This record gives sequence, structure tokens and C-alpha cells, in this order.
Amino acid sequence: MPADNPLKSAEPITWNFKLLAQNDLGGFGGMGEGMSVQIAKDGRRIIWLAHESAPKNFTAVDVSDPRNPKVVVQTDLPKPYMRSNSLETVGNIMAVAYQTQKMGQQPAGLELFDISAPEKPRSISFFDCSGATSRGVHQLWFCDGEYVHMASGSPDFKPSHPSDDQFYRCIDVRDPSKPREVGRWWMPGTSATDNVAPPPRHPLDKGYRAHNTNVYPQRGDRLYLCYIDGGMFVMDIRDKANPKVISHWTNSPPYTGFMHTAVPLFDRNLMLVTDESTENAGKDWPKLIWILDMRDEAHPVSIATCPLPPIDAYKDRGGRFGAHNIHENAAVPTAWQSDQIVIGTFFNGGLRAYDISNPYQPKEVATFVPPPPKGTPAGAVQLNDVFVDERQIVYTVDRHTGGLYTLEMDF
Amino acid sequence: MTTAMNQLFPSPAGGRFGRRLKRERGARIPVTVITGFLGAGKTTLLKRFLGTPQGQGTAVVVNEFGATGIDDALVRASADETVLLGNGCLCCITRTDLQQALRRMVVERERGELPDFGRIVIETSGLADPSPILQTFATDRALGGVFHVDVVVTVIDAESGGATLGWSAEARKQVILADRLVITKTDIAAEDAAATVAAKLRALNPGAEILEAVNGEIDPSRLTEPASDQRNTFVAEATHSDGISSFVLIHDRPMPWTVFAKTMDALMQLRGADLLRIKGFLDVAGCKGPVIVQFVQHLAHPPVELEQWPDDIRGTRVVFITRNISEAQVRGLLAAMKALV
Repeated sequence: MPADNPLKSAEPITWNFKLLAQNDLGGFGGMGEGMSVQIAKDGRRIIWLAHESAPKNFTAVDVSDPRNPKVVVQTDLPKPYMRSNSLETVGNIMAVAYQTQKMGQQPAGLELFDISAPEKPRSISFFDCSGATSRGVHQLWFCDGEYVHMASGSPDFKPSHPSDDQFYRCIDVRDPSKPREVGRWWMPGTSATDNVAPPPRHPLDKGYRAHNTNVYPQRGDRLYLCYIDGGMFVMDIRDKANPKVISHWTNSPPYTGFMHTAVPLFDRNLMLVTDESTENAGKDWPKLIWILDMRDEAHPVSIATCPLPPIDAYKDRGGRFGAHNIHENAAVPTAWQSDQIVIGTFFNGGLRAYDISNPYQPKEVATFVPPPPKGTPAGAVQLNDVFVDERQIVYTVDRHTGGLYTLEMDF
Repeated sequence: MTTAMNQLFPSPAGGRFGRRLKRERGARIPVTVITGFLGAGKTTLLKRFLGTPQGQGTAVVVNEFGATGIDDALVRASADETVLLGNGCLCCITRTDLQQALRRMVVERERGELPDFGRIVIETSGLADPSPILQTFATDRALGGVFHVDVVVTVIDAESGGATLGWSAEARKQVILADRLVITKTDIAAEDAAATVAAKLRALNPGAEILEAVNGEIDPSRLTEPASDQRNTFVAEATHSDGISSFVLIHDRPMPWTVFAKTMDALMQLRGADLLRIKGFLDVAGCKGPVIVQFVQHLAHPPVELEQWPDDIRGTRVVFITRNISEAQVRGLLAAMKALV
């Protein structure tokens, strides 16, 4: 069909999702990759959302009625060079990650809040991770109320390359007023003190550092760690002070790095691994959700990827196109659990759900590509993260201006 | 999805037939098939529907095998071109191959070359036997993995419909295979014409809902709402002309899948051409929800398990529309198979 065909369209797609509401969060709708649902004491359902960048820190939204989300509180970051890209809640405790633009800037670290009164989050403690060679915490995982697992720098860690500053750290928060580190691990060669040669740089050189650090209570002795250009590690953390590598899997090269999230599907002996697209106009295509056969955790085998629409239909829409976050089955009562459906965000490719009942043939079953949100500099939506609550309400956020979208699954 | 797959990657949430679905069509694109004889009023009905909110985002496929000019009132385009109709709808006339046309539309939608249609309405040529169209959607290898026929609607003219049913075997088959029957032109027909036609329709297809439409006006949901629930209320056994009969296989206890599957294998092998349409809920031993089975002649749709039984009432209820195959024969085969496997 010729390019000037009047039918040619980059129009929105809503297929087997039902949009319930959108809220631009008071004009601060640029959202990061922290989404967590709390049931407040008074029964309200509050979703806590991390922002992509300053000036806002986090926003709480009452989604008791998902058709009418209402902002409950929105807080500011103390410094314009900070970002709080990641957060998690367990009961009435919230952990928030603080990262700075440059090494040496402060504050950078982990803050714990008492959110029992959602309108008035109260700081309980701050765990400082700043330092001359640290930008603080990019991402954290917290679902057992006891340990925060995070991708963080540290004042006593000097990376062998400036992009390799964040590594895995385990913080004991059983006494939330006194967080303390109980374990850490970095990819060999990424510390300046290692006796191992630094890893070779990838063409896009996004860094060898930790990203998602998932630990599930049903298998509390395992860490599923993605290490950006370093691939994915399954780690034995039975001894938290001494994590050990069980297996390592990577797709890059020949792919272009930035491995982001690993989600084990325990009953099925499968694992989902996502890349993150970081380049505009599809320059790092293809960025995918991979499915791994984990029957032998020491030997992960890639068996499929979730199919993406043709790049030609998306690369010129604006911004990034490709995989990023997926719903991670966090082991909290407010998170949906599914090993049959994968739901992920793909920036301008929107939100997509896949049926993986046959893991060799993932099949797209639902799509949501909203129109460009008002005021977005990207020219297209850039859906950044997704969370599904136990009611099966889907929450997704735009990276720039669109804020929060609430949806129902209709498939 | 097979048992072997379940053993390789087991999941408490997965059923014998894959992911349990909330509804029969799962994530597939819903299809409405509109049949009816020449001049019965299919196009008028469709035009009205496209103008309603429920009709928004519909892709119309006009399936004209060899015939020309019949539906120019709806679209004026050369063969196999797609045109926009407004209200987010589009139309494709295919005079070649329905499968190819539908596949092309899906690919072009994925590429962003067509608007995001959410439903397909196939308007058949007046003379068409709907069976081949239903077969098109029967298997994954055909289009069953992407599309799902929600409802077959047959349009009958109150004035001349009765006579047509008398002389045309195709018209009778259109009625027999329908989920819903729409009588048109009741305003211009003789006073008792609609009632006379309705009685004939009821005799041919006792289970289908019968509606009347003046100028194409009916509740738009009648063209979209799946008819599966309605099919389950079929109780009457009817014998029609042309040797066609319909009956409901009712069974109160859970049935081993192998027994039913082998029975149907044998039936399809021996008498596939005479299995016009078979569809219903099966209570399969070991399955949580009902398993929806569907057969069109020698083709079996992949079985689908639903998350739960409607109204929590279990029990096998499968409607058979067959030619010269009786309920007793099917029951006999089922009993023999049960004793053997």
C-alpha cells in the first residue's frame, strides 16, 4: 500500500483492553518505573507511583474506583538533579530509590516512609549511598517487608568504568529505622579493585551495572538479577553476605544490551527476561521480551520471544519503540499473579499482553496504544511501566506527560 | 496445547486446552456473518448497524463470489480494495478469496496501514451456503486462531421469504445454520406475512432467536452478542427438509475427553460432509470450566476451556445439526466408544 494512502494511520489502538481512565497527575505525568498498590487502613486502594525525573518525588493516587483515580499526595524532590525512579510498598512501609545525575551529588540512597496515613507520608529513615563514585540507587525491590534488594552505588565502590557504578546490594530493613547492608555482589571486572579484566564494551555502551533485583519469598534463596549490558544472572543468596552465581544468560552481542528485568514463573520452570529500548527511532531494535526454559536453572535456554509489531509502523512515530517493564508478579497480596499472561510496556508500541500458555508460541492477545499525551516532547506515547492489581485492573504510565492510565483486561 | 506441554511447563492456572478463557472468543477478532437471499435486506441492516456506536470500528467484508453490483449501495470500489466508510469503519469487497482478504486486513492493521478495526462483519452473497465460510474459521491453519465467529445472522424478506424457502435449498440452509433470524420488510408485506414466515423459520430452526426489522432497524447488540448461550437452550429435536435434523446431546456426568474426541473423529471420518454444524458445552472430566467444542463438516475447532460454567450449572449440552444422522446413532457411537477406550 503506498505511503500516501489515506488509510495509512498511526492512530490509537485499543484491542482487548478497556480504558477506564487517564489522569495526568496535575500536569506532572512523567512517570518512572515504580508502581505499588497499598490498601490503606480506611480501605482505600492507593497506588504509589515513582516519577521519571525531578521536580516530583512520588505521587499517590486513590484508585479504589479505577474509573475515577484521584491524586492523594504528590511530593517534591529536594534537589533538581535527583530522580526517584523506583519505589515499592509492603503494608504501610514504602521504600524509595534516590539517584543523582552525577557522581558525588547528594542526597542519594534509599528512604523508607511510613505511609499509614497516605496523605502524609512520614520519613522513617534514610540509607545514604552517595559518594565520589556513586550516583545512588536506580532501582529497588521490596516485597517481604524485611529486605530491600537494590541496584546501587556505594561510597566504598570504585567502578572500573564510570558507567558500571551500580551493583547489587541487599539491605536489611527489619528495623526500618536502622537499615543496614547485609550483602552485595558485582559482576567480576566492574570494580577497579578486581583482579579480573573489565568486560568489553558494547557498541551502545549502556554499562555493566545492576538493574532489576527480583527476589521472591516463595524462593527466597534466589536472586534474579539483570545487569544491563552484562546480561542476566541467577544468584544463590542463601548466604546473603556471599551471593554466588548459579547461571548467566545473555543475548548481547549480537543484540544491543540493556537487559532489564527477569521474572521467574516458578510453577512452569520458565523465566521472562526483558530488554529495555533506550534509543529513539528504533535504532536499537529489536528490544524484546524473551522466554527462557529454566527446567535446569544452571542452564537457561531461550525458547521464544514475544512478537512485536513491524518496526516500520512505529519507528517514525516518535521516541522509543521496544520492550521495557513487565508486570512482575510481586509476591504481595495486591499484585495479580499470572504465569499464563505477560503484560509489558513498549514505549510508543504501547501496552501489550501475551498469552504464553504455549511458551514456544507467545501470542499477542491485547494492545493499548493511546494517542500522544498532551504536551509530550516525544511526539508519541512512551508507556514506561505496568502493574496489575489482584482485581485484574491494569495500571500503566507514560514516561513524559501522560501520567496514569487505568484499564481492564478484556480477553 | 497438549498434555505433553503441560508436563513440560506445568501450571496450576493452565487447563488441558491452554489458558482458560473468560469468554469463548478469548482474544480473537469477533466476526458476524450476515447471510440472506438476494434483496432480503442485508445491506440495509448493515448500513444501519455501522451508524450505531456498537458499529464503530467495524471492518465489512463483502463476499461476492462472481456476483457484481449487488451491494453498490454500500460501497463503490473495485474488487479487493479497501475503502473507509466513516465512523471508523472500513469495507473490503472480495471476489476472490475470503481467507486472503481477511489475512491481508490483519497484516495491514498491524502495519498501521488500516485503522484499528475491532470487529469483522462478513456479508455473504445471496446465493451463498454459509458452511464454507464457517469452515474458513474452523482451524488455526485457516483463520480460527485469529478470528472467531460470534454470531451468524440470516435475513429473510417477509414478502417473498416464504416462497424462497420453498424452492431454495441454499435459503433453507442459511436459516438452519443461523444463530439469529431477522425478518425484514414487515411494513410493506401483507399483514400476516411476517407471522407466516416466522412459523416456517421456527420449524426449520427452533433454537434461533427471531427478530423483525423495518428499514434495517434492530437492536445493534443482536449483530454482535455471541449466540453461544442461546444455543444452550436448544431443546427441541427437529427434522427438516433435505434430511437435515437438529438435536441436543445432553449428558449429566463429566465425560472423558478421549471418549468424545474419538467419537467425533469417527463421525468426521465417516460422515464429515453431513455434520453441518455442531457446537456446545462439554463437561470434560478433570476440567474446571466447560469445554466449548465446535465442528463444521470435517473440521474441528480447537477446543476452548472457559474459566467457569455460566450460572454454575454443569452438564454437557451440544447442539448437532446434521444430515441423515440421528441422535440415536450419535449416542450409540458415544456409548460404544466409552466401552472401548
